Amino acid sequence: MVSLERAQSPRFRYLTAVIPMACGLAGVLIANIPVSVLGGLVPAPLFGLVPVYFWCLVRPDLMTPAVAFSIGFAEDILSGGPPGIWTLAFVLTYALLARRRDSFAGLSGLAAVLGFAAAATFACAIAYFTVAGLNLLSGLRLPPLVPVVSELMMTVLFYVPTALVVGWLHHRLIGASRSDV
Amino acid sequence: MANAWKIARRSNVQLPLILVIALAAVVVLLGKAQGTLFDQVRAHATDTMAPVLEKLRVPVAGFDRFIGSITEIFSVYEQNLKLKEENARLRQWRNVAIVLQGRVGRYQALLHAVPDTKLNAVLARVIGRANRPFLQTMILDAGRQNHALPGQAVMDARGMIGRIYLAGQRTSWVILLSDLNSRIPVNIAPSSGKGGNVQAMMTGDNSATPRLELVSRTVILHAGDQVTSSGDGGLLPAGLPVGTVMTDGAGGWRVALLADASASQDVEILNFSTPPETPPASAQLPAEAAGLKPQVPAPPAGQVAAAQNGSQANPQTNPQAAAQSKPKPVAPPAAPPADAAGAEDVDR
Repeated sequence: MVSLERAQSPRFRYLTAVIPMACGLAGVLIANIPVSVLGGLVPAPLFGLVPVYFWCLVRPDLMTPAVAFSIGFAEDILSGGPPGIWTLAFVLTYALLARRRDSFAGLSGLAAVLGFAAAATFACAIAYFTVAGLNLLSGLRLPPLVPVVSELMMTVLFYVPTALVVGWLHHRLIGASRSDV
Repeated sequence: MANAWKIARRSNVQLPLILVIALAAVVVLLGKAQGTLFDQVRAHATDTMAPVLEKLRVPVAGFDRFIGSITEIFSVYEQNLKLKEENARLRQWRNVAIVLQGRVGRYQALLHAVPDTKLNAVLARVIGRANRPFLQTMILDAGRQNHALPGQAVMDARGMIGRIYLAGQRTSWVILLSDLNSRIPVNIAPSSGKGGNVQAMMTGDNSATPRLELVSRTVILHAGDQVTSSGDGGLLPAGLPVGTVMTDGAGGWRVALLADASASQDVEILNFSTPPETPPASAQLPAEAAGLKPQVPAPPAGQVAAAQNGSQANPQTNPQAAAQSKPKPVAPPAAPPADAAGAEDVDR
């Protein structure tokens, strides 16, 4: 846990402000390193969504909409898909979490995983329907649903280990929740 | 864990949130209208990451092989039997191919046919693969500085994998044939050898077997028909091997791709736009372009007599004249092996 004196120093406050965004960008980078494990059978999880979910509930002052926008934009750039899809998905998921923060933050155990699964489902649904809409505008067929569902399942599957890492970083480097600051 | 969180009841982020949502929507529309802006950023990012990807490639490929060997060890016996059977079948086809190669050579000589131009190719190594919901791609370690450009076809040893859609300076992204955004015109040749070729459009749907959208609804396909690129539109060269027709069980047709994009390590990028061979001059005969010397016109009778009297070309003293006087042999077909006769019988 971080001491109070250390938490009040300007340098430390700057560091804590950067950590959520750095974690989100690192998650995006790891997920989008284009190396194929298991022969590309399953897509990489949306690691970048976990920091958005976590800090949006714990410290929304550190995970601002602009930070969520930046993480989604990085996901768009590195994933190679249609531009702006994950930016919109991440920002709208952030909006959902900000509206229902009490409901999501009160979950624990398996319910916490289900809460993240709901948020991830919302993000993937936004991405899918946005791509579907763009395809319809261009006269193309609807994108297949299976790859998006696979990505959703992988994201939920990897939530627990990723949340443990993010939670550990939070307690070691940031420490305080919003109400403590 | 979550119970320990102390949550703010309300935060003052509503107004920026609305603006950010609007900005995100603008990014979507901008990406639709001006996708090249994002592509340039992606290409630059991949170029920057290329050294890291090349270092990561070896251990990840080793891990992949290790995982693959675990799953394959249980089916070694069945695979061995299957490979023996396939090997025997391929030997038969090899004999047929040798006979046909000789026959084609003779026909080319008879017709004075100009041989097909060979395509320039850049050899590249696969340094990354990405399997995302809306994009299936691979990244190659050859870019614009290696003359790899968007639109060029990418092949492995077995067939076509895809085509380049984004080229950085040192890396390039390949859109796979199985990708949702891939649509290439193909030519379907009947495996029975009877009937004409069929033109169709092959579209990816993120499955391993792209679907065939037939141009004509009246044609009849058969499983096993050969699919090659048709070259329509001039985007791709014609005749690149793609795969074989298979049924999807629901009345439609799909293509079993020859190339395995998930296992390819070294690929070729075909440069279709610039022919490597200069076209023959307009006055040059097709036979000369085919490497065949034209027949020398018969000299007048007086010269023939003089030549017979003393100026006959001696191969030892005047090899050039001797070479010119000899008719250049037509490119002989490769000597068929002992069992080629049987293969020819099969062909008949």
